[in-house]
Amino acid sequence: MSNDVMIYANDLSKSFGSFRALDKINFEVSRGEIVGFLGPNGAGKSTTMRILTCFISPTGGTARVNGHDVFDEPLKVRESLGYLPQRAPLYLEMSVLEYLRFAADLRHLDAELFRKRAKSVVEVCGLAQVLGKEIKYLSHGYRQRVGLAQALIHDPPILILDEPTSDLDPNEKAEFLDYLKQIGKERTVMLSTHNLAEVEASCARAIIVSRGRIVADGPLDEIRAKSGRVRYVVAIQESADSAAYRGRGTPPKKGEVEDALGKLAGVKKLGELPTDEKAHAYELVSEQDVDLRPEVFKLIVDKGWVMLELHRDAQTLEDVFRSLTIGDERRNRSLAAAAEPEEDEGDEDEESDEEEGDEGDDDSGDSDHDTKAAEGRS
Amino acid sequence: MRNILIIAKRDLRAQFNSPVAYVVIGGTLLLLGILFFLIPHINGVFLGSFWDVDRASMDQMFTFLPALMSLFVIPAVTMRSLAAEKGSGTLELLITMPVKDSEVILGKYVACCSMVLVLLAATLLYPLTMFVWPWHLGPLDWGPVWAGYIGIAFFSFAAIGVGMMLSSLTESDVVAFFTTAGALCVLYGIGFMVSTVSWDKAGWLSDSLAFVSFQSRLQSFLRGIIDARAVIYFASVAVVCLLVSFRSLESRKWS
Repeated sequence: MSNDVMIYANDLSKSFGSFRALDKINFEVSRGEIVGFLGPNGAGKSTTMRILTCFISPTGGTARVNGHDVFDEPLKVRESLGYLPQRAPLYLEMSVLEYLRFAADLRHLDAELFRKRAKSVVEVCGLAQVLGKEIKYLSHGYRQRVGLAQALIHDPPILILDEPTSDLDPNEKAEFLDYLKQIGKERTVMLSTHNLAEVEASCARAIIVSRGRIVADGPLDEIRAKSGRVRYVVAIQESADSAAYRGRGTPPKKGEVEDALGKLAGVKKLGELPTDEKAHAYELVSEQDVDLRPEVFKLIVDKGWVMLELHRDAQTLEDVFRSLTIGDERRNRSLAAAAEPEEDEGDEDEESDEEEGDEGDDDSGDSDHDTKAAEGRS
Repeated sequence: MRNILIIAKRDLRAQFNSPVAYVVIGGTLLLLGILFFLIPHINGVFLGSFWDVDRASMDQMFTFLPALMSLFVIPAVTMRSLAAEKGSGTLELLITMPVKDSEVILGKYVACCSMVLVLLAATLLYPLTMFVWPWHLGPLDWGPVWAGYIGIAFFSFAAIGVGMMLSSLTESDVVAFFTTAGALCVLYGIGFMVSTVSWDKAGWLSDSLAFVSFQSRLQSFLRGIIDARAVIYFASVAVVCLLVSFRSLESRKWS
């Protein structure tokens, strides 16, 4: 274990009764890394974070944070990290400033240092307007910011954030991810989320957990490549508006394009992407070792259509996430149905995840398509 | 130690920022006034109002105050200490700060005790206004009054321990309130049963009831005696209850 490993988990296990929330997970996070901790509901994200913050103890394995063991030196561990639990549970009757002072007192910051830190934290988290307000009057977005501010008040080398963006609106989310990048320059950050777009925006590395096990861990590109499929986006002109149509004959009908693309050898999946009336855009999926681009190009030339866009990328993280976790989930469900009722006894905190999770996934999907479509048009 | 005080300060401030503290103090003073001056003599149950008895003593206050505290004050003061924090999740944020579990328990205990001491200080208004200024209703013997206050203080420390323990076992402050009120009423009230178990010839039952009961333990204080056995008993109850709360808080790690 080198000095730069800030978070280290070895064979970490946690059982709640007969339910295995974590099953021997291993990972390391180095200094300066921003790691996205991903997984479906009940996968063990919060459990891992609670073990790392010494809120609960693992049933097996070891974990070290900043070189301190979570069993032997829980206070040292907590001193070196800032933690934002799910849904930012703050004392509602305190004002923001009082709360920050309370957090700073418990972390033994003196008045001088507190003033200095509070100033920078308030600036980073955008809290200047609400400092004197009681937390109960703040929106969830602001509460989340206060939660982040208290996690940052003592300038910790490690930040552990459990679904920090779940209550934020899209603007706040974007802002927050910007903060995170700023903050993450000198710190080690581990954040859990369902929202893959966030991970793509802010993290270089992701750890995907499912049913208490790590199913993928590595740089995002590597994880994307892991599914072994490649995705193509093709856009073909549908109407030229007032300008002269540069293709042969008339622009093709929708069905025509779809049929022709579907018949190409090597196409595993064909899906239509949302566009305006100027273009037909499709998404094709092929195996990794096949390159569809020559085929697509040739087809378009043969037909005399006008191609607006053709590009290839590895699968989106979302697709990988689905393929890595859903299959696992299904297998477990069928097993669970046979062996025991599939209700999870352990994680009382996962219920709220569900709504957010689905929403988040849809969001990321849409924005993804939108950007692709926008690229197509430009 | 420093963390205990920081947590205690925050909790105390939270009590005084919410209506709880004012309702508890105001309500207690009001009820105490009614009981003190207006409740007539009922044989074997109430010794009669201050006017009925017609003596310069604070006996009435010291009979009613522990009952009021068991039923109302201590449950209200302790219900939020751990139960509400567990329920709302703020405990997770508090415990993941660099504080020991024991500091959390002790901080909250100190806050509850301070709150009750504030209330006791407020009840001092009764003897002061009645016998010192502006009225002089008679020559009050202050010895039993101070002894009574010391007794009630120790009684409160034990009762708060019980309340904290029950608060640590649930996530709902309503449940914490009623279980604490119930438990304290039993602990206080079984003292009254001592006289009713007359069939108990050997006396072991009444002895053990009197041993456990908070009410019997308080009697000597009200006569002006600071009873070391009672002090030790109340302190032991407090310590045992705090240890149970500590274990209960710690059990989150293993459940």
